[in-house]
Amino acid sequence: MTGRFWGGLMVVVLVALLVAACGGGSAAPAQEATSACPEPNPRVEVTSTELNLFVWTEYIPQATIDCFEEVYGITVNKDEYSSNEEMYAKLSAGGANYDLVQPTDYIVALMIRQGLLQELDKSRLPIFAQLDPNYLSLPFDPDNKYTLPYQAGTDAIVVNTDAVETAPQSFADLWNPDYAGRLVMLDDSRAIIGMTLLTLGYDVNTTDPAQLEEAKVKLAELVKGVKLFDSDSPKTALIAGDVDLGITWTGEAVVAQREVPAIEYIYPTEGPILWQDNYAIPTGAPHIDAAYAWLNYSLQGDNFWRMLDEFPYTNPNLAALEFAKANHPDLYDAYINSNITNTPADVLKRGHRIQDVGAATPLYDQVWTEVKGG
Amino acid sequence: MIQSFRENRRLQGFLLILPTLLVMLVMLVLPLTLTVITSFGQRDADGNVIYTFTLENYWRLLGFTETGWDDLYLGILMRSLWLAVQTTVIVILMAYPLAYFIARAPEKRRNFLLFLVLIPLWTNFIIRIYAWVMILRGQGVLNSALGGVAGLLSIPFTPFDFYPSQGAVLVGMVYEFLPFMILPIYTSLEKIEPNLYEAAADLYANAFHTFWRVTVPLSMPGVVAGTILTFVPVIGTFVVSDILGGRQVILVGNLVQRQFLDARNPPFGSAASIILLLMTLALTLYYTRRFGLGEEIAAG
Repeated sequence: MTGRFWGGLMVVVLVALLVAACGGGSAAPAQEATSACPEPNPRVEVTSTELNLFVWTEYIPQATIDCFEEVYGITVNKDEYSSNEEMYAKLSAGGANYDLVQPTDYIVALMIRQGLLQELDKSRLPIFAQLDPNYLSLPFDPDNKYTLPYQAGTDAIVVNTDAVETAPQSFADLWNPDYAGRLVMLDDSRAIIGMTLLTLGYDVNTTDPAQLEEAKVKLAELVKGVKLFDSDSPKTALIAGDVDLGITWTGEAVVAQREVPAIEYIYPTEGPILWQDNYAIPTGAPHIDAAYAWLNYSLQGDNFWRMLDEFPYTNPNLAALEFAKANHPDLYDAYINSNITNTPADVLKRGHRIQDVGAATPLYDQVWTEVKGG
Repeated sequence: MIQSFRENRRLQGFLLILPTLLVMLVMLVLPLTLTVITSFGQRDADGNVIYTFTLENYWRLLGFTETGWDDLYLGILMRSLWLAVQTTVIVILMAYPLAYFIARAPEKRRNFLLFLVLIPLWTNFIIRIYAWVMILRGQGVLNSALGGVAGLLSIPFTPFDFYPSQGAVLVGMVYEFLPFMILPIYTSLEKIEPNLYEAAADLYANAFHTFWRVTVPLSMPGVVAGTILTFVPVIGTFVVSDILGGRQVILVGNLVQRQFLDARNPPFGSAASIILLLMTLALTLYYTRRFGLGEEIAAG
């Protein structure tokens, strides 16, 4: 994040200088250079002139947004969130007028129950045929009535093999005293308590207070040796060498490995935590036609391949992979040959999915508060 | 009619404060009322608020649970309070000499010095805290500098674990709130009549006595104002603790935030913020009764 920040600052300064130099008058020459945008296929009928996205921070390539604006003449307004809970709180408070959101699996079921999402009209989504069936019809939305997959990934172990002699092979190994003071963990109560439950042989979504109590006692031991909880950018501390190992998610691990090749991603023997981010249209979305146009256009292969480069997660979009294979073989090879992005099938089979635990939610919160606050 | 309006001072005054009153009503009274109402409610399985009247949230916060006494939440409150006390005391000790120095500087230079105090505030608060991460981290500026010095003296050097730590949190807090203490103290020091010092000297007071019997009492309004400006925001702050402390601990600000997000338990979060509010109010009232009202709040 910090590295990106300084880079971002430089970009801002450069853009400011450029704008100052142009006198703000003539941006036209720059526009022509970007006219290499793929044609929409198919082009859909749109009367709206705006599209309101409510999406994860750093999750959509700017080029895709620029192209959509150019091709359809629609202004894209983008608000960002950094946790599902933040997004849910804003939507359930009412009054928001977003056309698309990107909820993760566990919160989808809750949003459907609360009537926050509307059913998709599949006849308006030819893009659906290009999605990998392995990522469709998952338990949180059995027939994909409300959502379609955007990107998927895992939470698993990350370790700098230059600094750590014996790498952990399971979540349970993280309790090794040698690792104390060198660990980074996601600041995500469900993932970390869930991981602890797995080491005890329990379900990640248990609502049994006795099992949670047991997990609490065990987790409290680990927390003493955790140097950093970070759900924003755990890779920063890994790359900087502040920590040597821990738990992080797909995209962070890929970027960390690009910077420090000794960083490896290890799927624990208990099985990793699986997750999937999805697109959905909120109830009361004001520009539904633009939302469908965006879904079809931004997900088509010749646009979505950019994700392999900019936001490397597990990509459920077959057309994008094919396009990359034909046109950007280096990116495609990197994707297919990485065990981080191309999760092995047996790992997927033993993976676990977080679900909303309803009435037990405060129980998980209490466990988290106690292990950190006690 | 216009004539009577011109003479009606009360009506004029009322109209003048009306915009402020409306803002206070919409931005303060209404949300606070809603918070109080919510705090007596319960959550349903999905996290929606059920409006009833139960004291359960308050009992749980104060430590009375079904399974017996549990000081978890009081402990978090105390931890936040302790951090606020530490921050405020250190900030006073650092700000007073600086404010004194500025107030005694030649008049022409004072504005320049105050300007220097304010410059950091031009940069966003979060960015300045991240800058501290860069300075304090294992391979950061401070460790590199120390390592360089150690290298010159050929002393073996292992980088210090400055970040993340609770010490780093305190450094960040002090750094953040220092200007808010310097300014009010400066304002009261600057207002002290030089005649008073001359009078003290005429009465054979030495430098220490003059400082202790004249300067300190007359600058108390500034200290009180600065304390309130520091202490109250610090209790609820959690951003500095999250960034520089590595999110290892939960402060009362984290607690409230988690109830509205991860735990989806607004009634409990509302009760926690009401308790925090009452505690802050009680401490502030006690403090101002004890040391007088901070007249410099308006000025600072």
